[in-house]
Amino acid sequence: MLCRSGFYAGKMNETALQATPSDSRVISGHDSSQSARSDLSALSLRPPAHRVERRAVGWWMLQSVVLSVPILAAAIVAYVLWEAARPWLVLAIVAASLLLIVGVAVEPLMRYRVHRWETTPEAVYARSGWLVREWRAAPLSRVQTVDALRGPLEQLLGLSTLRVTTASSYGAIDIGGLDQKTAARLAEDLTEITQQTPGDAT
Amino acid sequence: MSTVSPETADQHLSADTPTTTWQRLSARIIWVDLAISVLSVLPAAVAIWVFDIDATGGQIWPLIGLAVLGVLGAVFDMVRWTFTRFRISPGYVELKTGVLLRQHRSIQRDRVRSVDVEAKLRHRMAKMRVVNIGAGQQSAAGESALSLDALSADDALSLQDDLLNGAAAPAEDPRLAPDPDQDGLPSPQRPDADTDAQNDDDQTAVAPPREPIRVFARFEPRWFIYNMFNIWAYVLALGLLWGGLWLLNTVGIDLYGFVVGLLDWESIGWVGTVLIALVAVGALGAVGLGIYYFTENWNFELARVPSGKGTMLRTRKGLLTTREINRDENRIRGAQISEPVLWRWMGASDTSVITTGLDEWSMSEPAAILPRGPVHRAKEVAGQVLGAPENPFHAHLNPHPRRALRRRLWWATALALGIGGVLTWLALIDVVPYTTIWAAAAFWPMSLLAAVIAYRALGHTLTDRYVITRSGLLNRATTVLQRSAVSTIVISESLLQRRLNLRTVSTMTAAGGGGYDTPDIDRQQSVEFAVQAAPGLLDPFLVPDK
Repeated sequence: MLCRSGFYAGKMNETALQATPSDSRVISGHDSSQSARSDLSALSLRPPAHRVERRAVGWWMLQSVVLSVPILAAAIVAYVLWEAARPWLVLAIVAASLLLIVGVAVEPLMRYRVHRWETTPEAVYARSGWLVREWRAAPLSRVQTVDALRGPLEQLLGLSTLRVTTASSYGAIDIGGLDQKTAARLAEDLTEITQQTPGDAT
Repeated sequence: MSTVSPETADQHLSADTPTTTWQRLSARIIWVDLAISVLSVLPAAVAIWVFDIDATGGQIWPLIGLAVLGVLGAVFDMVRWTFTRFRISPGYVELKTGVLLRQHRSIQRDRVRSVDVEAKLRHRMAKMRVVNIGAGQQSAAGESALSLDALSADDALSLQDDLLNGAAAPAEDPRLAPDPDQDGLPSPQRPDADTDAQNDDDQTAVAPPREPIRVFARFEPRWFIYNMFNIWAYVLALGLLWGGLWLLNTVGIDLYGFVVGLLDWESIGWVGTVLIALVAVGALGAVGLGIYYFTENWNFELARVPSGKGTMLRTRKGLLTTREINRDENRIRGAQISEPVLWRWMGASDTSVITTGLDEWSMSEPAAILPRGPVHRAKEVAGQVLGAPENPFHAHLNPHPRRALRRRLWWATALALGIGGVLTWLALIDVVPYTTIWAAAAFWPMSLLAAVIAYRALGHTLTDRYVITRSGLLNRATTVLQRSAVSTIVISESLLQRRLNLRTVSTMTAAGGGGYDTPDIDRQQSVEFAVQAAPGLLDPFLVPDK
């Protein structure tokens, strides 16, 4: 890890020098600059190091159940009681069933494949999402708070969500599906590091 | 709580010996309130005694309502004055107010981010000023600036000096003589831009902030044309019409009847009538907005002024209501110019700075540094404010891959199909007539056009200091953000984007709107862009491409 970042740091300097206003090739149009690409283009983001707990699959399933079962139940009850609206309610029942099936059978497994996280002494890095994937990284020098949160479903499964916030209202990183002990330890460690890291007051 | 006589409040708040006693707001409020009461009763009194209108008749009620509202407002204001005290101590600004619900609010002085001075016409006639003290509050948290309504003009100015310049002792300094290059239209080259920003630091040790170091822009009467066309024109016109109708009605003129008699509406037909009404109301509203531009921006001046902590960007404006807004330049992280799509042909643009500690959603729009005006001037001024040697707003932006256009066309088509589907279904179950399905057919080419416009808006680049990105359909926004201000970097990829090999890079920051997206960059370039947008952050997470 260290070795790799050292190797990269050297290249970074070169490319940073190139990134002057006069030289817009550095990240210029895909079509025009095949030949003039910098070394950066040979690199890609690796996935964060750690997976979330396996139990997280169960957590996501439970979440879907809690969300879609009441909708499905309401649609079925309405279908039984309200004869005139049945053609509409069939649609509602089909939609709610689909939501439930996808939410229980597809979404949790896809999420388990995608969700990963990693913390280093300098940064927090996480990948999440299923239909829309997201890679989020924040430097610890900008971190304001680190909390371990537990919702009722997470309590049930012994899981916890690590929430790292920065001064930006959109900059928070949530890492769900961690073991409660891991999350608590991480929150403690990261808080300690952020207190030692000279932050910039914003 | 000690009672302090109004005289104490009128004493100057000296900068080096901060007063620590509780003070009252200016006692002139009472006189203003009395004057307002008299003025608001006057119309009803004149109507009853001079014109001998029957006081029990329906026509007089609005005037009586006006009188009651005016007097009640004045009474409440006097009560507020009686129960309000404020204190400026070395560490805090404190305000106690309220009769039944006592409020005690305090702001730490070193957390004060903005001290804005505002005066409505009544304040100006009584030589008073409202001072709004902001501490970088988050509007989401329901906090608001602490408002001292009102102090005498002298007190307001010295309080502002005191808070913005800290304990810096006032001293005369010849270096602070007004810049000779203050013609309001500095040359676009401006070789002094960077030295300006650097010299500011040593100049600011000395206090009196009234003289600007540099004036970026002044009132431009010709810009009214950019401010006339707006959807608010209709709201304004309808308000004016309703008010005019009612007012003329009370004095016995039938405006409605006059308009009806003006043209032969029968022969024009309802389509023509609606068109004429739209144009006429729109024209009235546009004229109203033009006049509003003059009253709002009269004497407009955007200038850099020294302050105790560095420099400030100061806006002064207003004909009847005057406003002064000060923004700490140390907190400015970038700037944004947005061009509304309907008025892009005339080059209309709105300019604002990206800064921390200003309430983005405030009605007074403290981040906006220019009124709506021509985009070439906006770029010039915004570039000068940022003070970079090369204006980042003139940087060449890289276009995005054609696949970004394909994504937009897909979405436009899907949206048109969705609308068509819903309309067809509604037609099948007899909710709407079948002809409405044509609306979806008409919508499709329009949405395709919108897709092309949105695609053409896309662009991004990096300079050694800034991330520059442009996007947006209804408002094409060009954002220039300091790379060092990026706190979190987010790369996202939806299902369709993954198929098209595209990604969106968002740079999150503590300033301004919180985050700025650069949609649909080529997947490979997204990594490069993200890596350079937040220097050093992603380095440990990179691997050689397979």
